[in-house]
Amino acid sequence: MATYQDFIQQNEDRDGVRCSWNLWPSSRLEATRLVVPVSCLFTPLKERPDLPPVQYEPVLCSRASCKAVLNPLCQVDFRAKIWACNFCFQRNPFPPSYAGISEVNQPAELMPQFSTIEYIVQRGPPTPLVFLYVVDTCLEEEDLQALRESLQMSLSLLPPNALVGLITFGRMIQVHELSCEGIAKSYVFRGTKELTPKQIQEMLGLMKPAASGQQGRPLAPQDAATSCRFLQPVHKVDMNLTDLLGELQRDPWPVPQGKRPLRSTGIALSIAVGLLEGTFPNTGARVMLFMGGPPTQGPGMVVGDELKTPIRSWHDIQKDNARHMKKAIKYYEALANRAAVNGHSIDIYAFALDQTGLLEMKCLSNLTGGHIVMGDSFNTSLFKQTFQRVFSKDYNGEFHMAFGGVLEVKTSRELKVAGAIGPCVSLNSKGPCVSENELGVGGTCQWKICSLSPSTTLALYFEVVNQHNSPIPQGGRGAIQFVTQYQHSNTQRRIRVTTIARNWADAQSQIQHIESSFDQEAAAVLMARLGVFRAESEEGPDVLRWLDRQLIRLCQKFGQFNKDDPNSFRLSESLSLYPQFMFHLRRSPFLQVFNNSPDESSYYRHHFLCQDLTQSLIMIQPILYSYSFFGPPEPVLLDSSSILPDRILLMDTFFQLVIYHGETIAQWRKAGYQDMPEYENFKQLLQAPLDDAQEILQTRFPMPRYIDTEHGGSQARFLLSKVNPSQTHNNLYAWGQEAGAPILTDDVSLQVFMDHLKKLAVSSSA
Amino acid sequence: MDNFYIKPGNQERGWNDPPQFSYGLQTNPGGTKRNILNKRVPPPQLTGQSPGPGLPPSSAASSVPPSNPGPPPVGGLTPPPPKSRISSGGLSTGSPLSTSKTQTNSSVPAENEPELDEVQALLLWSLAACRQSVKKQVCDDVERRLKLFEEMWKSGKLSLPVKCRMKGLSQELKNKKWDAADEIHRALMVDYVNEVSQWMVGVKRLIAETRNLSPELFQTEDTILMQVEKDLPQTEDVQPQTEDVQPQTEDVQPQTEDVQPQTEDVQPQTEETAQSDISTDPVQ
Repeated sequence: MATYQDFIQQNEDRDGVRCSWNLWPSSRLEATRLVVPVSCLFTPLKERPDLPPVQYEPVLCSRASCKAVLNPLCQVDFRAKIWACNFCFQRNPFPPSYAGISEVNQPAELMPQFSTIEYIVQRGPPTPLVFLYVVDTCLEEEDLQALRESLQMSLSLLPPNALVGLITFGRMIQVHELSCEGIAKSYVFRGTKELTPKQIQEMLGLMKPAASGQQGRPLAPQDAATSCRFLQPVHKVDMNLTDLLGELQRDPWPVPQGKRPLRSTGIALSIAVGLLEGTFPNTGARVMLFMGGPPTQGPGMVVGDELKTPIRSWHDIQKDNARHMKKAIKYYEALANRAAVNGHSIDIYAFALDQTGLLEMKCLSNLTGGHIVMGDSFNTSLFKQTFQRVFSKDYNGEFHMAFGGVLEVKTSRELKVAGAIGPCVSLNSKGPCVSENELGVGGTCQWKICSLSPSTTLALYFEVVNQHNSPIPQGGRGAIQFVTQYQHSNTQRRIRVTTIARNWADAQSQIQHIESSFDQEAAAVLMARLGVFRAESEEGPDVLRWLDRQLIRLCQKFGQFNKDDPNSFRLSESLSLYPQFMFHLRRSPFLQVFNNSPDESSYYRHHFLCQDLTQSLIMIQPILYSYSFFGPPEPVLLDSSSILPDRILLMDTFFQLVIYHGETIAQWRKAGYQDMPEYENFKQLLQAPLDDAQEILQTRFPMPRYIDTEHGGSQARFLLSKVNPSQTHNNLYAWGQEAGAPILTDDVSLQVFMDHLKKLAVSSSA
Repeated sequence: MDNFYIKPGNQERGWNDPPQFSYGLQTNPGGTKRNILNKRVPPPQLTGQSPGPGLPPSSAASSVPPSNPGPPPVGGLTPPPPKSRISSGGLSTGSPLSTSKTQTNSSVPAENEPELDEVQALLLWSLAACRQSVKKQVCDDVERRLKLFEEMWKSGKLSLPVKCRMKGLSQELKNKKWDAADEIHRALMVDYVNEVSQWMVGVKRLIAETRNLSPELFQTEDTILMQVEKDLPQTEDVQPQTEDVQPQTEDVQPQTEDVQPQTEDVQPQTEETAQSDISTDPVQ
């Protein structure tokens, strides 16, 4: 192994795991002194084109409280046909089918390169995927037309045997019966009256008649598949559904002057959840909510219909002046939990110029692994392309989406799992490896992730429980096993097992080794997730203070300095980027609500809490590349000094792509040099960032906004607000004619931030 | 290929709306990634250099080379360095794909506009093949959509790329390449949904149904057609349809339909009944 860089990359590629520390401190006390907890980012379904699944069941440890899966770390006695569990040390006989096992004839799961392995298991009959469209009809005609077309288009992208259903809502809610036999029927519900799940199922006729003995029993999935008139296979109803969607009308109820249209989003969703609950519990299903404005009536309403009362702002929330907020949040949380229990996920596609209530509704997606996509109008490429990408396929022509995931974490004895942060809910499964201390969603070793994609990533936090006076034998290793059961999009049940191990190290004698094993990128994201998780329940300034304190402590622990001499402060290479990440995180929309609506904050945080490391890091500290005549494109500091007249800059913030033309470049472009044959190279220079931006646009989910601007352009503010303001109107003249662009801000610059950090870190009184 | 293009987003409705990629571009992102932009530069302060605001990002990159064109003088503009001054390796030049990528919708292959008869004949021929085993109602529905397709074509509501791709689709159908035909249908739905959404679902169903036909049935259907046409040798393994006999199939259609034994007794559904929603309100 050449360097830790290589080691980290290899492990991420193979196992989808990035650990904050790649050597683990051997005692609880030492672990707490490292500030950043032993933790990892785990991508359960990381794309592995080179990993064909095996077609048999995993072999489990026979100890009831363990049940770990046989893995390459287990000791095997090939003669006695016995293996020892590396988690609980139980000795297990191999099952009869492993009778032929020997040193030269080993099953895949024992080979070191299969630390991650996927099993296809047969459990019950295959069940089709279910897609239930819940469509707002209080839209402008142009938006509704675009939405109709996108929904019609999606029928061509769905697997032919998938079940599809349609609920439309405005003032009333219509549940459409889908049949191939001509007459279109729908069931109409009022949007103001809350209904119990049982009532909904009765009204839709989903209960079995009393003949079957148990009265009012929900249908078994088998019966439901044949008898549910609301969910039908795409290949049977595609033609009728195309017509039905084509004929969708705007909500016919008149909207008086000065009023918002009445939208019964809350009841529409409760019917959708109830319908799936009654027909396809524990089956992969997606409720896809398309809305063009906030819920305005019935349970779950976010704002009243009076236009003169604006939807709540951060200011209202701080002043405790958001009338409907708490009630609505409670309502949607209850719905989200019901959906999660049944393994159903809920997507929200909110496209409107004003807020639509994502703050109140975010839990629907956050708890069920659904997508949230926010934009201005359904008639935009941002919506159309993002929606297409929900149905994108992998190298095998299979959907990227997977359903009904259950992640179980097993740890060796010296470790316990403290919690998870990501698009999951706790399954409240107690066990020997559950820590008493919670970080994120804790108190369990199992989490449910109702919908997963290859990039869905959970942050998992651990606690070293080994006592200081009972050191772990030298050379010992700690191990973690992740067992992810899920429904593949081809309806197979699969289990993916990832087993990782890291060496224990004595923090007193080997602190430098531990330091060099630090993965600052992973650590930044893991700490940021903790911060964002806290920000959901705590005041912003408290979270910032907590983050600052952690950073100072980390610098005190690992910085090299003479006491009380800030100028002597140095950080080693493995920590060199970390303070910068924290600086940008403090300024990011995940922790700062200034200039963002409550919906926007919820939207940004949603994506931050489910994306993988690379994307999360882009969100924390945007990528900035510079294009010039002086060499190939190169990464530059996210700093105002990088804004130079003869450069083109490409900035990727995940949610926005900004191409910024420096002053000279912009003048040349205006003068049309790119069209002259002798300046072909200038044309190429202009083209280079566009090509790179296209590659990002082609893969990013959701589609980012795309900004092409130049020096002095009003939209240059997207760049100016993100760069470190090293030159401002305050210090510009003091530093003379420095290159770069001054930023009109009173924000603290990275330099000032670092000076304070150094001062605090080296202070003997701290 | 007109399957690879990018068109601008809808700036009218969406603020900084991103460009829209064609289905072809999204499914084949053009080979290897050229530049993965994920590198960052550590701030100079921490790596031992003297701290100070406004320090250039990296001394090598920002030190001004002698060839620097310099700031534009007042009243005039210094031109960018001409081609010869820049080493060709310095810049990332666009990949070969990037030229085709940026092509717009309007650049259509120079081939002639396809004939409707040719396309429609193949579709109707497939429909005829389905009539033996597929419900009449479904077949009628498909036929209705094919008529709509024909009307839109005749009244000039279909763009050239749609026509060309429909021709390609019908050829794939003829050659029994269902996956290829299905892929063209999907690309059309994604790229031209506003033109094709109402009738394309009929074509989609046609592809699905002919795929399900047992090969014998499809063959029999071929032979039926061939017998009627009387032009072609009756060998099983030769593709019965050739380009020159295409126009005839139109005339042949009614006959083949008569040949079909219609066992299904389905009430034809009128448009009016299909549209009148019978709404039951269980709440009241």
